[in-house]
Amino acid sequence: MSEVDDTQTLDREQLRRLFDLRSSYNAHSGGDYTDDPYPMWAQLRARAAVHEGTVHELTGHAGAASFHGLPFPDRPHFSAFSFASCDTAYRDDEVFASSPDAAGPEADDISVTSSMLSMGGARHRRYRSLVQPSFVPAKAQWWIANWIERTVHLLIDGFVDDGRAELNVDFAAAIPVLTITGSFGVPVEQALVIRESLQRPMEIVEMLEPIVAARREKPRDDLISVLVEAEYTDDDGVTHRLSDAEVYSFAMLLLAAGSGTTWKQMGITITALLQRPDVLAAVREDRQLLRSAIEESLRWMPTDPMFSRWVTRDVDFHGVQLPRGAVLHLCIGAANRDPARWVRPEQFDVRRAPKPTLAFGSGPHICIGMHVARAEMAVGIGALLDRLPNLRLDPDAEPPRFIGMYERGATAIPVLFG
Amino acid sequence: MPDQERTREIAVDRELCMGSGMCIVYAPGTFAHDEATKAIVIDPMGDAIDAVRIAIEACPTGALSLTSEEERG
Repeated sequence: MSEVDDTQTLDREQLRRLFDLRSSYNAHSGGDYTDDPYPMWAQLRARAAVHEGTVHELTGHAGAASFHGLPFPDRPHFSAFSFASCDTAYRDDEVFASSPDAAGPEADDISVTSSMLSMGGARHRRYRSLVQPSFVPAKAQWWIANWIERTVHLLIDGFVDDGRAELNVDFAAAIPVLTITGSFGVPVEQALVIRESLQRPMEIVEMLEPIVAARREKPRDDLISVLVEAEYTDDDGVTHRLSDAEVYSFAMLLLAAGSGTTWKQMGITITALLQRPDVLAAVREDRQLLRSAIEESLRWMPTDPMFSRWVTRDVDFHGVQLPRGAVLHLCIGAANRDPARWVRPEQFDVRRAPKPTLAFGSGPHICIGMHVARAEMAVGIGALLDRLPNLRLDPDAEPPRFIGMYERGATAIPVLFG
Repeated sequence: MPDQERTREIAVDRELCMGSGMCIVYAPGTFAHDEATKAIVIDPMGDAIDAVRIAIEACPTGALSLTSEEERG
């Protein structure tokens, strides 16, 4: 495996531009929002489980925002803020569909929107069952040993002798991209090009085409090989495999859903710990607590605090009439701090008893990458604690703040160590 | 309490199970996946009852249930 032997070839300027939450690249999802939305979300949740309007409008953010379920100007919009309402909607994919038309991919339509995200019912279950085996907890070790561990340590090698680092873009942002592209067998110098090409899927397809062809010819121990070899037998005894278009769509989904989210959640977790040196010290001493800290960060500040569902029939939902065709926005950020479910919900507390949150969603579309994301965060933060003694925020630099509406994350995380 | 005799029966609906792995996150001593990436019970007493209840609640497709539980001191 030589794909990530040379992280020095990563262009840091390009990294910074791509992963700056406030850049124009990210502004479309509310990257220019810099307030704390949680006090308003608490008020809204206390008033009613479900409100008319979008989450950003109800929060008082006037800027345009485009995200899952937005903008759809011709449809009525509603937003759910309680844990119970969000959980119910996630689990009922007949009434609350994951796309406006659960048609799924056409053979010649390769994009994230044509991926598994938008399929429904039995078709989605069949398709997901082909790829689920590569994303189970038992498989996390495969991801760690093949891609995550090496990436993490090479990145730390780049700054370990400096006594200082910026952990958001130079560390957290690079790990998921390199993990996913590494699992595709894409050379590291192409990793950022791929990230940049997400809006232009055909460019990614051009990069993946020779790899997919090569793996069909001669499989390796990597994800593309798993995808081209995955098969299931239907009720009529016919064996199905993924077409090239389906492999490309799934690869696009992994890149789009896995690279931005995991780096920002890792940055949120690192920031929350650095802001609380006593908690950081406890986690350093007792690594069992690291897992709890990651789960708590997912509850306390999920990087994507909203996902949407499309209402398939008129329904009375928590006392609100939702018409067929409406978009229901699930404010999981608010749901994850519902006082009906958690004591002192606004507090970041790594000693809570384990309890499921909605950070990865729920129901049949629950995040397929969640165990890989957890592994990336645990290995990444664990390696920082192992290799950077006396890790602390740089007192002379601007402290990290949490920004963003629909893609939340930390600004720069400047640290000192040693 | 180790000196207690306890039995638990945990049912897995294999049609509903999608292999998400949520049960294994919350009760790794109780659940695992089989060859078909379906949840199986490897030890009904493998975790504290609270962890098992949380795992059952966490299942995104409601495939798990506690069908009987007797705890005698």
